[in-house]
Parts: sequence; structure tokens; C-alpha cells
Amino acid sequence: MVDLTVDLGKFKIANPVMTASGTFGYGFEYKDYYDLRELGAVVVKGIAVKPSHGNPTPRVAEVAGGMLNAIGLQGPGVDKFLHGAEYMPFLRQSGATVIVNIWGKSIEEYCEVAARLDAESEGIAALEINISCPNVKEGGIAFGTDLKLAHKVVSEIRKVTSLPLITKLSPNVTCIADFARAVAAAGSDMVSLINTLTGMAINIETRRSYIANITGGLSGPAIKPVAVRMVYEVARAVEIPVIGMGGIMTGEDAVEFLLAGADAVAVGTAIFVDPYAPLKVIKGIQEYLERHGCKSVGEIVGAMEKP
Amino acid sequence: MKTGEIVSNRVLQDEYYEVKFYAPEICRKTRAGQFVHVKIENLKDRILRRPFSISDVSGDGVLTVVYKRVGKGTEALSTLPAGTVCNLLGPLGNPYSPPDNEEFPVIVAGGYGSAATYLIAKNSPGKGILLLGARSKNDLILIDKFTAAGFEVRTSTDDGSQGHKGFVTELVDRVIEENKDKKIRFYACGPTPMLLALAKMLQDRGCNDAELSLDHLMCCGVGACFACVVKVRADNEDGWRYARTCKEGPVFKASEVYTGE
Repeated sequence: MVDLTVDLGKFKIANPVMTASGTFGYGFEYKDYYDLRELGAVVVKGIAVKPSHGNPTPRVAEVAGGMLNAIGLQGPGVDKFLHGAEYMPFLRQSGATVIVNIWGKSIEEYCEVAARLDAESEGIAALEINISCPNVKEGGIAFGTDLKLAHKVVSEIRKVTSLPLITKLSPNVTCIADFARAVAAAGSDMVSLINTLTGMAINIETRRSYIANITGGLSGPAIKPVAVRMVYEVARAVEIPVIGMGGIMTGEDAVEFLLAGADAVAVGTAIFVDPYAPLKVIKGIQEYLERHGCKSVGEIVGAMEKP
Repeated sequence: MKTGEIVSNRVLQDEYYEVKFYAPEICRKTRAGQFVHVKIENLKDRILRRPFSISDVSGDGVLTVVYKRVGKGTEALSTLPAGTVCNLLGPLGNPYSPPDNEEFPVIVAGGYGSAATYLIAKNSPGKGILLLGARSKNDLILIDKFTAAGFEVRTSTDDGSQGHKGFVTELVDRVIEENKDKKIRFYACGPTPMLLALAKMLQDRGCNDAELSLDHLMCCGVGACFACVVKVRADNEDGWRYARTCKEGPVFKASEVYTGE
């Protein structure tokens, strides 16, 4: 029997598969499909201090091997998230391991939302700091593409919460390992990567971008090789646990990330194709481990052979 | 037969097709106005599902979708032969509230909006009227089915090739005038500009319980991704908020639709 549990230092998860923020709503949307406790963790869509409309439409465009999105972090705000029936109260009751993704337009806003969640942290396993959303003008990626700001935002959040912190890194930088080192030094307990790659697609008949925001974040199988490479680089650069994601559609895809050095993985765009994708990925990892005579997930983490 | 298996897939008229899936469980649950999210199997490098209004369901588990060939997805779908098995999610979305015995249903449909509203007519306890507008007479579809369901059909076309020359919304006031003595209940589906114009019109005439089916480019289909949003009225400083058509719609009350900029 294979042991699928993963020890992420600050907390344990039942299996290595999470949902990527922004692709699983607040969990509530999938409650009729399966028991959320079957997932390693549910990572909810980004939460800010205030409610946010998000970007104008169209917000998505399908491209070869994936999609572009510029949703722009539409969300209920932290008050409604903590007390609205279909958000945190539902998640607490579901028994799922919950990771809350947070964002802000300023360091003060990041700290405020982190402090608010810290004050009512029952049922919250960790916070994931989003410093990598490419689709909002203020905040988000501005913090994720500047080493000093990345360090600053994480170290300030560290002061206001004792919850485990995961920092979600942007791939839209020259050396992602530098950012992993910076946020680890600032007190991040883990890193997750990659967020989407900034992209564009133009309708040549109308000569307009397919997306109202003009640029969007590319996700899906198209980005997987980039994501695997970045996870490989980050896992060699830092000691803290690494959560890998980017185009995972199957258990085999997830195993690539684990071999590259990820301690756990997240499934994102694949959920839009098939709500059951995360469960299929868990099963696929288990089958791989059995086929290779492994007793635990940890045995294949970073177990890539030299060329 | 397997669930999701295509029973038939044929040209209805011009660029319009009709595909029938074997899907007994979805058929049993379906109510007028809901949709099914289809994974089209031969889409090569495109991976996302395509949402389609459920046009009809039968007691023996056959689900009908009427679609127009407009892009890569529908083009690929149009080539799938009977026997192909597709993964279907559904029924999704909130349905129309069916008309009761007292109500006189008036359906306003633009283009293939008639496909999304046919089940209202089929299940209606009383007869009603379909106002159907399209670009040209070749785009007017399912008239015979509505007629068979006992509905009177009045048409409009942009080019005047059949019925009234102009917009379908221009037919609305006469219907209200002619049926003053009845309790009219409006239902609508069609292109967004038409629906916004209609919503404004119906709001002005006090028909706030009218129900309109809105949509936008959809992705997950279950409310998780926030791609398919439209503006609805809200009690906040802007007066509107973005609502997910897949989860909070696609059917909205006319009074909810935000018709400002």
C-alpha cells in the first residue's frame, strides 16, 4: 500500500494534489461533484480586503494547448469570504484542508487581509500570497517581479500572522530561483509555482485582442515544460517545500513535477476540462508509485536521474 | 448505448445542425433553459468544453442540441458521426420558471435563441406566441416545432426576407396591446445586444418578471472561473456587479439585468 500523505513541514496533506487558485472557485462550486476531503488541499480564489469587480469582458480566450485569462481577481472581499455561507463557513464544514490565496494593491492591504484571516483562522491550513497575478494593474505581479518588493511584502505579512505562508511565484521573471530565495529569507514557509505566463492573442479580422485586458495569463498543457524547468530550478535553490503547477492534466504530468523536485502539485486548467481531473491525477500518481515499487510520495521527490 | 453517445448529427438547415446524444440521466433532470457542457472529442489542440443550450429531451433519454457552425468547436462537432461518445456535464445553470395555467407565455428569440426556449413552449400548459428574429430567412429555425407545440410564430428579419423587416423587439408592443386581457409572461434568449435592448424595454413596461437567458464566453461551466460574467443590478455604489452566467444564470429576471454603460 502506497502512503500518499505529504508532510509540508507546517502541516500535512492527505495526498500531494491541490487545486490551483482561481480554477476551483471557493470549493463550493464543486461540492456536488465529490467530497472535498479527497483533495490534498483546496486553494481558494484570491481574497482581498474589499470586494472587487474584476476585469471587463471578454476575460478568456482559448489558444493552442491552453487558454489565456484576465479575470482580474473578481472576489467577495474578506468579510464576505469569512462569513458568507458559500465561502469559509461551507469550507469549514466540508472538512477540506483549506489554503486561502490572498492579494492586495499595497503592502498594507496584503497585511490587512492576512491579519483578518489570522484572527478567524479556524479551518485555514495556510495562506498563499499571490504576488504573481499578471492581470491587475496595481499589486499582484508588481510585487512578484521586483526582488526587494517580494521580500518586503512577505516579511511584513510574516509579522501579522502565524499561519503557514506559501508564496506563489511569477514565471514572468529572468531568474525565478532568486525570487524563491528572497521570499524564503523573508519567512515564507513554502513556495508555489508557476502562476500564468503573460500572453496575448489577436483576432486578425477585427484586429482586436481576444481579451479586453489586451494581455492575459497563459495556462494549460502549453506551459508545462516551462513550469517543470522552473520547479527544477527552485527546488535546487531553496530548502523549503515546493508546490509545483502549470499544465498538469494527468498523473504522469504530476509525476514529472515531483521528479523535478516538487513536494506537492496543483491542478488548475485541467479542472475546467474535467471537474474530476484532480482525483484522476491522485490516482495516476498512486499507480505510478505502485508500478515503481515506491512506498511513499517522498521517494520520488527530486528523484530525477542525471542525464 | 453509452451515456454521451451521439445518436444522430445532421444538418437542420443551412449552417444549423441538430445533434442528439443518449443521456438519460441528464434528460431526466433537465428543465427549460438549462445547458449541457460538451467535451468535443476531435478538437486537437483545443481542450476546453463547449456549452450548448438543451433544445429538447425525450422520455427515452435522447437529448437534442441545435447549434450553428460558427467556430472551431462547432465545426469539429459537425463532423462527429453517430456512435461517437462525448463527455457531457449537465444539466447546468438555472432554468426558466415555467408558465403557470394563468399565464400567457410570449417567447422572444433571436437567431438560435429559439433552440434554448423550445422546452418552455413544449411544456407550457397553455398556448403562447414566439417572436423570432434573425438576420435572414435561412436563420429562422425551429418554427415548425413551436407551431407543433401550439404556439403562434411571428418572425422578423434584418433583410426583410421573411416577416417584419427590422428587429424582433419591434414586435413586442403589438403583442402586449393585443393581449391586454391576459397575464403575459415574457421569456427571451438571443444575442446580447438584443437582450439588453429587450430588458430595457420590458423594464420600462413593468414586465419585471420576464426572464432572459444571457451568456458570455464560458469556461468551467460551474461557477469556478468567473469568465462568463455579465453585469447585473446590485445594491452597491456602482449599481452593478458581475454575475456568472453559468452558475447565477443563464436565466435572469428582466429587473436584474443592468442596461447602463
